[in-house]
Amino acid sequence: MSAPMPPPTTLEHARWERFKSKLGGWSLTTYGILAFAFLYLPIVILVIFSFNDSRSVSKWSGFTWAWYGKMFQDGQIMLSIWNSLFLAIVSTIIATVLGTLAALGLERYRFRGKTAVDSMFYLPVIIPDIAMAIMLLIFFNMSGIGFTPWKVNFFGARLAVPYSVIIGHVAFNTSFVAIVVRARLAQMDRTLEEAASDLYANAWQTFRRVTLPMLMPGIIGGALLAFTLSLDDFVITFFTSGAGFNTLPVRVFGMIKKGVTPKINAVSTLMLVVSLSLVVVSILISMRSGSEDSVTIGM
Amino acid sequence: MNDAYAVELRDVVKQFGDVIAVNHVSLQIKDGEFFSLLGPSGCGKTTTLRMIAGFEMPTSGAIFIHGEQQGYRPPNKRPVNTVFQNYALFPHMTVAENIAFGMEMRQVPKDEIQRRVDEALAMVRLAGMGNRKPKQLSGGQQQRIALARALVNRPEVLLLDEPLGALDLKLRKAMQIELKALQEEVGITFIYVTHDQEEALTMSDRIAVMNNGVVHQVGDPESIYEHPADRFVADFIGETNFIPVRVVSLSPEIVVALDTGQQVVAGWAEEGLSVGDKAVLSIRPEKMDLLEPKEMPKSPSQQMAYVKGKVTHLVYVGADTRHTVVLGDGSEIVVRLQNSYIGEEPWEIGEETIVTWNAAHARILKE
Ligand SMILES: Nc1ncnc2c1ncn2[C@@H]1O[C@H](COP(=O)(O)OP(=O)(O)OP(=O)(O)O)[C@@H](O)[C@H]1O
Ligand SMILES: [Mg+2]
Repeated sequence: MSAPMPPPTTLEHARWERFKSKLGGWSLTTYGILAFAFLYLPIVILVIFSFNDSRSVSKWSGFTWAWYGKMFQDGQIMLSIWNSLFLAIVSTIIATVLGTLAALGLERYRFRGKTAVDSMFYLPVIIPDIAMAIMLLIFFNMSGIGFTPWKVNFFGARLAVPYSVIIGHVAFNTSFVAIVVRARLAQMDRTLEEAASDLYANAWQTFRRVTLPMLMPGIIGGALLAFTLSLDDFVITFFTSGAGFNTLPVRVFGMIKKGVTPKINAVSTLMLVVSLSLVVVSILISMRSGSEDSVTIGM
Repeated sequence: MNDAYAVELRDVVKQFGDVIAVNHVSLQIKDGEFFSLLGPSGCGKTTTLRMIAGFEMPTSGAIFIHGEQQGYRPPNKRPVNTVFQNYALFPHMTVAENIAFGMEMRQVPKDEIQRRVDEALAMVRLAGMGNRKPKQLSGGQQQRIALARALVNRPEVLLLDEPLGALDLKLRKAMQIELKALQEEVGITFIYVTHDQEEALTMSDRIAVMNNGVVHQVGDPESIYEHPADRFVADFIGETNFIPVRVVSLSPEIVVALDTGQQVVAGWAEEGLSVGDKAVLSIRPEKMDLLEPKEMPKSPSQQMAYVKGKVTHLVYVGADTRHTVVLGDGSEIVVRLQNSYIGEEPWEIGEETIVTWNAAHARILKE
């Protein structure tokens, strides 16, 4: 009664429908290809030219591993890799513990000024890196912490990592971990904890046997995210490290100033591979933890 | 332990901000009893149960388990176990680990845990499922695991919050029978929360009917159904006719006047009514009969009520037929007649009729 009668099915009509759907399919495919090309072509080119047997990063002249060899022989680059790894590991461990505790506190307890603390945790995620970097820089200068390094022997590499950089990385990573863990915590069924206490578990046993295992995928996800962010970070490291301390991204920046060589492509490819592996690991973990209690690892 | 009540609530109140979830509730639940808390959504059933379990603390009043006041004792120190509505099985543990959890926390020896887990699985007829994860089980199976996980600890009292709520009707019926049989077998006191009156009536030894945080009536299923204490209970349990009346006399006999002025006798009147008050006459549809006007006795007995009306609606519901009858004052009542009469003319819409009932079945309740 309400819907108009469809026109009698004619041959033209059917043809028109077919044409329309073909047109739709065709333009969608084109659009998809273009979008993918736009996103991934530069990456593919970058990777390809890391194997180029010449100094050029635009003209192909044959395959070689030489740039990777050069990269691993370059003491400066190796030192920056060790710096990056050390910084990422240390800041991830600290941020994971702090972020998890913060998530628990914010999700489970009510206290005065909770809303303020709550929004403070989103700040490092929202504000531009540069603003945060300058804030930290001012803080380190004014507090007198300065750029005092932590001298440490890390797998044979002698590192001098300024505490300020570690604190800087912990500062933003804690927020990310807290947000990821909190999302997981909010999803978690509170009655599970009640069930545990109903079954004679005290507060610690409830946390240890129920809350923590249920939270684990979130914690691991948060840690992987923190690790990746720390490895990739440039701005905050650059501003909070003082002179002479290089992580891999900072080192690459320094090299680019002297011109782009396939060695930079090789370094970038290495970073790409590490980042991708981390993503794959996090996806595997979230798949293993099951579809029903799946994890949002973020990014 | 002593031979006091299994659970006793004395004047318990629970407030959440402005909301009074439980309002001066006193209950005495006997040892080994299947006791139901029945009432509409939001009436405070869950809150009552959670206070017994220790998840919520009463705002005022006291809770005793086997004569011992619970006070601020946390859930893990109370001799009760809970079956949650959503089962709350630990998803990261196997079925066997779930069942073993309570015993582990109480440091029961390993081999005894093993034995009792197997027994518990057998009891709920899920032997051999111990190594599965909860999500590999159906809803009904998960329900039984939740039951096993609680019962394996041999609690003095088992608290169940709508444990069958998530199951489909058929499974629900089957589980009702199973649960009742299990309760009789283990002899543990069950406190069972439900909003399903049929479930409460068929399973319980006694029922507390709640509304708005208040307990309206406590009694066995028959007395709840046959002798509802007030209008809410009469209305909530089963189907009831409420006919507006005015109290004419309360002794020696209870007599009320319908709006038409006709006077009828009733078997019982709620406390606090006085002569002249407006009230309702409550009577179950199956407690009434329909007569043809010519069947009206010449000298009616005092114990029978007769009211003239007209059939306006018929609904055939299998075992019986619901007849809607409009009385002289415009009020409608429903009469259910069994469809077992042979050779009797069925009633037709528009027919004049006389509704009759035994005065003893009529209860006068406050409006
Ligand atoms: N934690 C809480 N905070 C605030 N109000 C609450 C809380 N828990 C329950 N209430 C309120 O208390 C009242 C009783 O709730 P309760 O859960 O006991 O009802 P119920 O009888 O179990 O209902 P249902 O059948 O829907 O489960 C409701 O009005 C509810 O909104
Ligand atoms: Mg409830």
